[in-house]
Amino acid sequence: MALLRLAVPLLLLAALWEGAVALLHISPFYLPPLRQVLGSIYAFGPAYAQAFLVTLGEATVGFVAGALVGVVSAAAFHHARWLRDMLFPLFIASQTVPVIAFGAIVVLWFGNTLLAKAAIAFYLTFFPVTVNALAGVEAVDPRQVALLRSFGASRRDIWWKLLLPSALPRIFTALRLSAGLALAGAIVGEWFGASIGVGAMLLAALFNEQVVAMWAAILAAAAVGGTIFGVVALVEARLVFWRDEL
Amino acid sequence: MKDAADQLDQLLTVGAMPTARPKLALRGVSRHFGAVQALAKVDLGIAEGEFVTLIGPSGCGKSTLFNIVAGLLEPDAGGEVLLDGVATSLLGKVAFMPQRDLLLPWRNVLDNAILAAEVEGRPKREARETARAMAADFGLKGFESHYPQQLSGGMRQRVALMRTFMFDRDLMLLDEPFGALDALTRAMMQRWLLDIWSRYRRTILFITHDIDEAIFLGDRVVVMSARPGSIKLERRIELPRPRDPALLTTPAFNAIKRELLDAVEEESLKTFAAGAA
Repeated sequence: MALLRLAVPLLLLAALWEGAVALLHISPFYLPPLRQVLGSIYAFGPAYAQAFLVTLGEATVGFVAGALVGVVSAAAFHHARWLRDMLFPLFIASQTVPVIAFGAIVVLWFGNTLLAKAAIAFYLTFFPVTVNALAGVEAVDPRQVALLRSFGASRRDIWWKLLLPSALPRIFTALRLSAGLALAGAIVGEWFGASIGVGAMLLAALFNEQVVAMWAAILAAAAVGGTIFGVVALVEARLVFWRDEL
Repeated sequence: MKDAADQLDQLLTVGAMPTARPKLALRGVSRHFGAVQALAKVDLGIAEGEFVTLIGPSGCGKSTLFNIVAGLLEPDAGGEVLLDGVATSLLGKVAFMPQRDLLLPWRNVLDNAILAAEVEGRPKREARETARAMAADFGLKGFESHYPQQLSGGMRQRVALMRTFMFDRDLMLLDEPFGALDALTRAMMQRWLLDIWSRYRRTILFITHDIDEAIFLGDRVVVMSARPGSIKLERRIELPRPRDPALLTTPAFNAIKRELLDAVEEESLKTFAAGAA
């Protein structure tokens, strides 16, 4: 059922693409027909599959690291006010550095490795997760905390049994948001000289004015983003099953 | 299953004999918040197995008193809170139930009920067995795996009460547990609570706004004064138990109600006048 809900709009979009190109006589320079783009992906299947996996790997490593650091930071900031006063401004300042500038430095440091791209994906991910996790933890009803304390609960108990689960809906909102950001981070990272990956393909197609290949790279990028987002949504549905019922 | 229920009964019915030493004693308990004095020299003793109800005008410091007895707040220096004759931190020693049920939406009925037991370090499986055996008494049989969102207000309140009972303490503090329920559900819950109390026999301090409820439930009704709160009046309720709803319309009940109403109204007027001034 969920798959059907997903498939219908995708098929509609595909039909619209094909139909518009044929009916409005759009020049292939602006928008090549979809079947030509899909055909190109099919023809170079292994290359696209490799690019997909490489970029997915980079984005995922950065995304997972960013999510973990975000949640741990939120926990630390919640428990130690002084730490928050000291570090939170730095977190905000870090986000004012444009990702392109940050990307250049990271590639200088790490060279053309998976780590470099993951670092950029991480850089875009950890901040929204920190902010949302902290907001979620701070929104917990103080009477709920008082109740657990009256049972003799330690701070550790309160974190695991109350604060973290309560913050999960907001954490997942941030993760959905960050799924796209992590992909953007990985692609920007690839632009600094990577030879494999969706971002590298996109850049190569752009330089060679291969419009079909460009669109093919865009579809591959969408597939990477969709995969991360889909996994997040699946985990969310299992973990935060009570969200809609609040 | 039967054995578990028997064990549970034994576990829950100990200490029903009244003793000379009060279970809980407050001596000269005051509390300030900055310049505001919430409580002024409260003296109160509760005997083992006694059901004491506490009423007072809103803003009289009932919640402050409750938080102190629950161990969540410290009284001002000079005041003493004694549990079994010993001055000690009360955190984790008193089973406390706040106004709202505060159930966790990601835990089903059983897992919400065992929350306190789990915090104490009891193995989950064993705690769940105990809870399963108690579910029928709390009118939750067949709902063990439901989530709070799927339950009515009265049922949610019973889960919260079960959680409080499972936190196996001699002294229970109930803060307007039925305040949010409609009148019919409320009357049912009151009779049900008396039934549970007579079987499990705990010492209960029950806070309420409702004079009928205070008289119907209590062995003794304590009236608090307007802020700063202190004990204005204590009235022993010698109505026979078990009590049934017909009691609410008897002359004896009404006489007590008249007496308490006068006291509460006098204090409410003071609060009102202070607010208007």
